[in-house]
Amino acid sequence: MLNKLYDWVDERLDITPIWRDIADHEVPEHVNPAHHFSAFVYCFGGLTFFITVIQILSGMFLTMYYVPDIENAWQSVYYLQNEVAFGEIVRGMHHWGSSLVVVMIFLHTLRVFFTGSYKKPRELNWIVGVLLFGVILGLSFTGYLLPWDMKALFATKVGIEIAASVPVIGGAIKVLLAGDSTILGAQTLTRFFAIHVFFLPAALLGLLGAHFIMIRRQGISGPL
Amino acid sequence: MHRGKGMKFVGDSRVPGLQHRKPNIPKDYSEYPGKTEAFWPNFLLKEWMIGSVFLVGYLLLTVAHPSPLEGQADPTNTGYIPLPDWYFLFLYQLLKYEFASGPFNVVGAIIMPGLAFTALMLAPFLDPGPERRPSKRPLPTGFMLLAIASIIFLTWESVVNHDWEAAEAQGKIVEEVEIDTADPGYEIYSGSACISCHGDNLEGAVGPALTATAFTAEEIAEIAVNGIERDGEQVMPPSWDGSEEDLKVMTEFIDGLSE
Amino acid sequence: MSNNRVSRRQFLGYTLTGVGGFMAAGMLMPMVRFAVDPLLQEKAGGDFILTDQKVADLSEEPVRVDFAFEQVDAWYTSEVTSSAWVYKEGDKLIALSPVCKHLGCTVNWGGDPEHPTQFFCPCHAGRYEKNGKNIAGTPPLGPLDEFAIEDRDGLVALGAVKANTLVK
Repeated sequence: MLNKLYDWVDERLDITPIWRDIADHEVPEHVNPAHHFSAFVYCFGGLTFFITVIQILSGMFLTMYYVPDIENAWQSVYYLQNEVAFGEIVRGMHHWGSSLVVVMIFLHTLRVFFTGSYKKPRELNWIVGVLLFGVILGLSFTGYLLPWDMKALFATKVGIEIAASVPVIGGAIKVLLAGDSTILGAQTLTRFFAIHVFFLPAALLGLLGAHFIMIRRQGISGPL
Repeated sequence: MHRGKGMKFVGDSRVPGLQHRKPNIPKDYSEYPGKTEAFWPNFLLKEWMIGSVFLVGYLLLTVAHPSPLEGQADPTNTGYIPLPDWYFLFLYQLLKYEFASGPFNVVGAIIMPGLAFTALMLAPFLDPGPERRPSKRPLPTGFMLLAIASIIFLTWESVVNHDWEAAEAQGKIVEEVEIDTADPGYEIYSGSACISCHGDNLEGAVGPALTATAFTAEEIAEIAVNGIERDGEQVMPPSWDGSEEDLKVMTEFIDGLSE
Repeated sequence: MSNNRVSRRQFLGYTLTGVGGFMAAGMLMPMVRFAVDPLLQEKAGGDFILTDQKVADLSEEPVRVDFAFEQVDAWYTSEVTSSAWVYKEGDKLIALSPVCKHLGCTVNWGGDPEHPTQFFCPCHAGRYEKNGKNIAGTPPLGPLDEFAIEDRDGLVALGAVKANTLVK
């Protein structure tokens, strides 16, 4: 049945070469922990992607309850965590995942750095990777405010002050982030929500796509 | 396989006819030299097994440690000591040092992180040689190790210098208690120094909330007169300068709130 | 100069870029203007809040003036209460913010019996002189902030908070 369905689609679209390229690509010995245990360092990139998938999914589900409004944001988070079945787990996945993804992407960066894998011809992929790191940190920073609890508000105050200390354009950055030159309030929350849920994930997906296409194109770097 | 002019397509679409197709047969294992493996399904299976173990640990973490949620944000609370998420702690700590704060804030906030990030981004061009082993390129390796060491050091400094107990207390979700502002106890409270730290509704500000204190009236009175000293540091100054009778009325009022 | 003639292909390429640019600009211009609006909004700045403190009642001795104002944060309006320490210096009115520059506690004039002519912060014993200058050796890092102040028909009106201008 499934085979027939596959053939039906394949006859019309010729999908075989697309996925065979991914499926049949060779995994060399030096990145395979089954042969050299130390090769587990090559897992960090994959784990980063795995957590990113969890983050995207859990985030999508969290917005079923969450409202980005200063009067209700905290209430909605409190509700979804304490009243909704498995709410603690779903929010927990998103909360702890944000820490784990930073750890994993950091370890992945170190692996690529210390194996010298960023060297020619992979410079472009390294740059995309560093940009991804930046996007992830941006997601962490904007996501921290959304529960609208005490530590969120005051940590964001500090963060915005840091952004405001950029020479010349600092003030403008502050207003663009906070939505107001003095108040950190209703407009800040909606802005951070938009950045966290739409702008940065869009950038993340685009960069991730480029990252993976380049890896498939160039293959993994050889053994040291 | 025939490509180019004269190639047969399916019906009226650009997709080539079946005779031009790549057959849907996996590469033979003999095509993988040595210990090289096929990605699908051999290697992916191993990856997913690691992934499963990881996921179980991860789910256990979410169950064992519910994600923290502090009390609702109150912009008028001026005594809250802010703390960023742990992976930004090193940056936060950096801004406490003299060379990176006050007039030099821009050094710690922008220049140092900016330089580090730019250098990381441009690593392939700063270190263009063909040598890949870390030991054969001491400068990049050294700089990176230095960066990691300073991040770990700064994070550590920040953690030990932070008053975690106070941090937990200041963020606690406080249930709102109806305060009878006509109560003589409240009048004394609002006229004393207590109100400047513990808030108009005893909800806490610089000092903790007094609405659900575990102390008895006598203990509260003791604290109001002598303050609190912890680890040789005066965490609450001696604050009471009123009469003995007023103190009794006020502490009984505060004690009554927590019942 | 006939070599520099624009070929059909080049011409179409330029036109395509132009039309593409037009479409991108047409889409993005409203959106970008929408996003940067807070930056360009005219602030109703310098709005003074009338308090019920009579100017005539003021002296050289700072008094605490409480006031409330409506803070408008886009669609969210809230009542914010605040206070100031107000006194006269000659004919000049001065209003200092009561927010301690150490950790943001509230300072009191003469709160410390040993220093009756200073502002005192009960939290960590920070002290300030009458003009707001922080006393060296106490925790605060800078002088108390200052309010813009006006005499409006005999009543004190307070404006925006600014950095202390009295301390040299």
